[in-house]
Amino acid sequence: MNKLLAVIVSILFFSFAPAIEASDIAGTIINGGEKIFPDVIISPGHDYLNQEFSDDEPDFLSDDTKEEKKEETISIADPLYYWNKGMFHFNDKLYFWIMKPVAEAYKAVVPRQIRSGLYNFFYNIEMPVRFVNCILQGKFEAAGDEFASFVVNSTEGILGFDNPANKYPELQRGVEDFGQTLGSYGIGNGIYIIWPLLGSSTIRDTIGMAGDSFLKPVSYIEPVELSTGIAGLRIINSASYKIGDYETFKNAALEPYEAFRNAYIQNRQKKVRE
Amino acid sequence: MKKTAVFLLCMFFASISFSANTGPMDALKGPIDEGIKLLSDQKYKNPSLKRVQREKIWEIVRKAFDFTELSGRALATNWKIFNPLQRREFSEVFSEVLGNTYLDKIQGGYMDEKVAYLGQEMLSDTKAVVKTKIIREKGEIPVNYSMRLKNNNWKVYDIHVEGVSLVQNYRSQFNDILSKETPNELIRRLEKKLAEQQKGKIE
Repeated sequence: MNKLLAVIVSILFFSFAPAIEASDIAGTIINGGEKIFPDVIISPGHDYLNQEFSDDEPDFLSDDTKEEKKEETISIADPLYYWNKGMFHFNDKLYFWIMKPVAEAYKAVVPRQIRSGLYNFFYNIEMPVRFVNCILQGKFEAAGDEFASFVVNSTEGILGFDNPANKYPELQRGVEDFGQTLGSYGIGNGIYIIWPLLGSSTIRDTIGMAGDSFLKPVSYIEPVELSTGIAGLRIINSASYKIGDYETFKNAALEPYEAFRNAYIQNRQKKVRE
Repeated sequence: MKKTAVFLLCMFFASISFSANTGPMDALKGPIDEGIKLLSDQKYKNPSLKRVQREKIWEIVRKAFDFTELSGRALATNWKIFNPLQRREFSEVFSEVLGNTYLDKIQGGYMDEKVAYLGQEMLSDTKAVVKTKIIREKGEIPVNYSMRLKNNNWKVYDIHVEGVSLVQNYRSQFNDILSKETPNELIRRLEKKLAEQQKGKIE
């Protein structure tokens, strides 16, 4: 009960965070109005350059192929914008305050072989998720490859801690999940939603996640604390290989919320198509 | 005299057929491999040479990318509300911001990643997608390069990382910003970001 209260309080707190940050940004815009680049002087030597920029109708997208055109209009309904924005900030703080320091400490302490072994192990035991979703999408060959990898890794790879199947590139397949299966049946994204801890999702992919959890062996471990602990270990272990990726993408963005939302939808669309 | 003329003529045709034979994948392979060579060169482990290394990589990137096209595509229809000067300013600052962000990442976090070239797909005579993947210690990242033939050179105008188009990602952000702010304000924001990046580098 106390835990629940703490969660609610922190959610409330972080839903104010955007407002605080917005006023910060407003302040810096006023202060930081000075120009870094000198004005461009138009001299005869610059003509060739200016030509490139003087065309009003360059129509950069006019000769795009059908495939490219489809991508230009990708978007997602976001009626939960305020909740999502709060969650975005919550997860962001969670990453910088907890996930990252823990993953860094973990990486420093835990030997590489163990981290690598765990990474392989966790991937291997989730074979049922990938296998079943391959079947549900009619990808029988890929299902066979998933199964073959599992057998090789679980035996020769000593319960999946090693990844000998890696030697056979033809066995390597995209990771299928139930969200993609639903997508392949023509079910749309629904609306965009960001979950605390779990991050970006949509209605469809949330249903997908719930469905997949039935196929994850870790979900069946009792008691719940142990199951949660193992799930946490998995997250930290895999994060130890990706420290810095989140920061790079966030720093590259002018509007991080929009950047992550768009990236999520693009990435999922590509996975459904494959 | 005649000999020289024949020789020059041969050279001329040879150069034409050579550049036409250089497919998009080959055009991309050169710069990427060159970049990786620079990144794995032990010489540049020396912090005082980091700047030199960075400038060399940036030069390669500049040649391989068509930043005007990339900027134009990121603005899409918003290009029309920018005047020629703003377009130029925008392209310059936007490409610098992009360059800085990703150079920081590859220079600071290069962990012997390898690049595998999977193939090229011709979309038309002048457009192609080159498929690659970055192989990390754990996991692979598919990276596709959209390329276009301009003045006999294949240049990159978009990158898809795990299916996420860089241009489209920025387009959605710019659309968002330009629905509330003016082109000049967007340029100022990019300049501010660039200044922050440069400040971070000195510290």
